[in-house]
Amino acid sequence: MKDYQVVIVGGGATGVGILRDLSMRGISALLLEQGDLAHGTSSRFHGLLHSGGRYAVKDPQSAAECIDENLILKKIAPHCISDTGGWFVQTKDDSPGYVEEWIKSCAGAHIPIREVSISEACRKEPLMDKNVLRVFEVPDATVDGFRIVWANARSARHYNGEFRTYHQAERLVTDKGQVTGVAVRNLLNGHQFTVHCDIVVNAAGAWASQLAGSIGIPLDVICDKGTLLAFNQRLFHRVVNRLRPSGDGDIFVPHETITILGTTSQFVDSPEDNDPQQEEVRSLLEIGEQLLPGIMKNRIIRAFSGIRPLHREDHDVPGVKEEGRNVSRSFALIDHELQDGIKGLISIVGGKFTTYRLMAEKVSDRVAEKLGNTTPCHTAEEDLLPEIPEHVYKKAARLLPYAPVEKMLERLQEDAEDVLKEIEQTPHKGQMLCECEMVSMAEVEKAASDEDTHHLADIRRKTRLGMGTCQGAFCTYRALPLLWQKKEKYDSLDEELRNFLNQRWKGIRPVLWGQQLRETELTRAIYSGILQFTEN
Amino acid sequence: MIYEQDRTENLDACIKCSACTAMCPVAAVNPLFPGPKVLGPDAERFRLEGLQIGAALLNYCSKCRTCEITCPSGVKITEMITRAQENAKLSGSGKNLQSNIRDYLFGRAEYLGKLATILPGLTNTLLRTPLFRQVLEQALGISSEAPLPTYRKKFNPFGEGHKNRKQVVYFPGCFVTYNDPPTGHAITKVLEHNGYEVIVPPFHCCSTPLEGNGYVREAKETAKKNLALMNPYIRAGVPLITGCTSCGTALKEYAGLDVSASELQAYDLFEFLWALHEQSEFRTDFKEVQVSLGYHSSCHLKAQGIGTPSVRLLRLIPGVRVTDLDQGCCGLSGSYGFKKEKYDTAMQIGNPVFERVRHGVANDEFQSVITECGGCQVQIRHGSGTETFHPVWVLMQAYGLE
Ligand SMILES: Cc1cc2nc3c(=O)[nH]c(=O)nc-3n(C[C@H](O)[C@H](O)[C@H](O)COP(=O)(O)OP(=O)(O)OC[C@H]3O[C@@H](n4cnc5c(N)ncnc54)[C@H](O)[C@@H]3O)c2cc1C
Ligand code: SF4
Ligand code: SF4
Repeated sequence: MKDYQVVIVGGGATGVGILRDLSMRGISALLLEQGDLAHGTSSRFHGLLHSGGRYAVKDPQSAAECIDENLILKKIAPHCISDTGGWFVQTKDDSPGYVEEWIKSCAGAHIPIREVSISEACRKEPLMDKNVLRVFEVPDATVDGFRIVWANARSARHYNGEFRTYHQAERLVTDKGQVTGVAVRNLLNGHQFTVHCDIVVNAAGAWASQLAGSIGIPLDVICDKGTLLAFNQRLFHRVVNRLRPSGDGDIFVPHETITILGTTSQFVDSPEDNDPQQEEVRSLLEIGEQLLPGIMKNRIIRAFSGIRPLHREDHDVPGVKEEGRNVSRSFALIDHELQDGIKGLISIVGGKFTTYRLMAEKVSDRVAEKLGNTTPCHTAEEDLLPEIPEHVYKKAARLLPYAPVEKMLERLQEDAEDVLKEIEQTPHKGQMLCECEMVSMAEVEKAASDEDTHHLADIRRKTRLGMGTCQGAFCTYRALPLLWQKKEKYDSLDEELRNFLNQRWKGIRPVLWGQQLRETELTRAIYSGILQFTEN
Repeated sequence: MIYEQDRTENLDACIKCSACTAMCPVAAVNPLFPGPKVLGPDAERFRLEGLQIGAALLNYCSKCRTCEITCPSGVKITEMITRAQENAKLSGSGKNLQSNIRDYLFGRAEYLGKLATILPGLTNTLLRTPLFRQVLEQALGISSEAPLPTYRKKFNPFGEGHKNRKQVVYFPGCFVTYNDPPTGHAITKVLEHNGYEVIVPPFHCCSTPLEGNGYVREAKETAKKNLALMNPYIRAGVPLITGCTSCGTALKEYAGLDVSASELQAYDLFEFLWALHEQSEFRTDFKEVQVSLGYHSSCHLKAQGIGTPSVRLLRLIPGVRVTDLDQGCCGLSGSYGFKKEKYDTAMQIGNPVFERVRHGVANDEFQSVITECGGCQVQIRHGSGTETFHPVWVLMQAYGLE
């Protein structure tokens, strides 16, 4: 007896994209995520909605996919995207030959480019190196990973799609050479149960081989760790890429209030291996210096790493260097019926955040075909989120005269009116609990009481609490009373506080100098001194 | 580029300690004003994203700079707020036409002064006419209760003219020039008494009112004009003196415009006199003056970070007793307290000062109040009903120059 037609494992961009797509086609689906939505690579990335420019020369197919998806997402998800535009910048160390090849390749992939004069470039980006040689504008943009993942999940729920967070797929369940379900553990209470279905979609990202391995199917996914640096403020107004064959540390992305520089590339053994290292930080800064002179003077609030799941098949060509960036970043859809003779299992591996929708479409097409469903894909046409009504904007602006209310409303979506009502009734809840990222007490309270919030870090992902300059120095203790109101849901407050601060500390440790060091000392004084919170 | 890099580093310096907001006099009395941290470094990170944060609230900052002297990280908070105000003005958000005209006028204390002093008698009569004040309030949003200063015949620096080997350049400032020329003369006499020739080039406004009302670019232009006038003296190593603490703050910040910090020797009057005293070059042939005074130190004096040299100096005079009131800001902050929507806030901010003055006078602790800042004088007189004047007048008496 089956519970759902499809079970999707993995609540990153790819997984929720599939959940939405299948749900819109009327296929019943359940998504399982072992942590919070987007807690994997989909929140540990650069935040760049690629125009394709970066892949134009090496991987024209990826480039074409990127530009198509870039335009689609800008249309269907404007609230999750900031259309900053981007530049490709040639420095004196970058080969002119490559520039010419790049210009041709962009034309081939239909990526619109415009050359920007150096004087215009220097005026528009005053912090950029003045000695650059050529600058080209492309339709790069930035995308908020948390927001777009949640938007997909919400939209899917609207079409009866279901998802469970903190639910781990422990093992695939098979019956006579066919996958018939998933053995699941609820990580919050330890309960184990089995969900039966016709098809399992493995969208577990860097963990995908573990899931396939649970029934002995080999799926070669390489874990390619990339480290990124978050600067305290927006240093550039637009995405700035180096115009050269892709390498480490050559993209600056202005993301919300910060700038992200990255990334490195290093193979690691496990998806959990995501501690940023000092060595990586140093190499990023050395390369970043070429576009942003005096980079060391700019405050870095943290470093973080994500794991790219790369599919080995694509690079199983002799002679390709054993280095992450030379493995194709176009994705692989693996129908295990064709590959391994096991029915009812499809894996989707690789790809980019930018192409999550396309990947979801391809997977859903295959699933629908197998289930005999003929409804076509509509995810490219239907807006991901409803418009925020004008009167809600106005009310928010009135109640919160000094907050970036658009951002708040975009985060809250249909919960916005509840939160505003709360502020209207209890005005002090309009105060900013997280001052750096300007998140009100009412919004944090709402996030804390959401049924799918289980840890302080979940609140962080939903609201941006603790992600700004002070890295949780002040907002962490302020949030605790709100957790206390729902204490049955959370670990002990002690534990929540400790875990949250330790997560922040993990990112701060490799960049501990200058102003961030002062900040950290202040944090230490608050928690170790005033609150007597001891080590470990 | 240099400027951009400085701006970037200055924003990075904020460690979010909130000390600035804890000390802001406006935030203390006006619950709707979120304070310097929010409107300065917090909002700045969003402004860089192109979002206008609290544009209408920026104007509630009185530019007293208490936040800047409090900040342990040297963040130029008031400057950030002023720049944001200017940008909001350029983009047309956050203000109405009425307050635009008014702030335009208040930003130009110099022109106002020039106009008013053509016929000072008429101006003063008008300013004291309730009907005219109603019109000002209705038409321009200038509070009808606020203590607008009286205008006098314009300060004429010439005529004293003792030639001397030792020279100083005196920067009178708009308040002395248009509202209180006698104090200008007193300052000149005290300097001359100490053996200095006092030179007064035809200066423009120091630019503080322009900044205070959110006109950063114009403020810089004006500052440059003044610098051009000072230039020959700066090159010759002649010190620059002012008796107005707001002008003093502004003049000290000219360093970095067209002149380096080491070249520009700008002093507050009493800072200068105290330095003379330390070199035993200050005349202390005082007559006894039996007087008890309450001293109010203006925010812009505090912003200069030089302590309270006038208190130290006046205490050298036999018979003079000075009590430091130490009650923070008087609330006026240039033209801030004249604006109708800010009048109440300004009076609330100043209330501890007024209370302290009334209490001191009632208990015979002192008879009158001294403070270097012309604006503070007007406001304390208005709020406490007590006579308030510039400390140089005590020196005048002690030297027998009156
Ligand atoms: C440093 C870095 C920078 C990047 N920058 C960009 C960029 O700028 N632009 C761009 O387009 N792409 C970028 N990428 C690529 C992009 O981030 C990824 O391709 C994309 O996020 C992958 O999404 P996903 O859903 O496939 O994987 P994930 O987001 O990792 O989702 C997989 C999810 O599956 C869950 N899971 C795993 N196993 C189980 C199980 N057994 N049970 C339940 N749940 C399970 C995990 O917890 C995880 O949440 C970057 C990648 C890295 C590493
Ligand atoms: S300048 Fe004065 S009024 Fe303005 S924010 Fe700073 S302390 Fe407050
Ligand atoms: S006092 Fe300075 S460091 Fe502290 S919050 Fe204010 S601006 Fe930031």
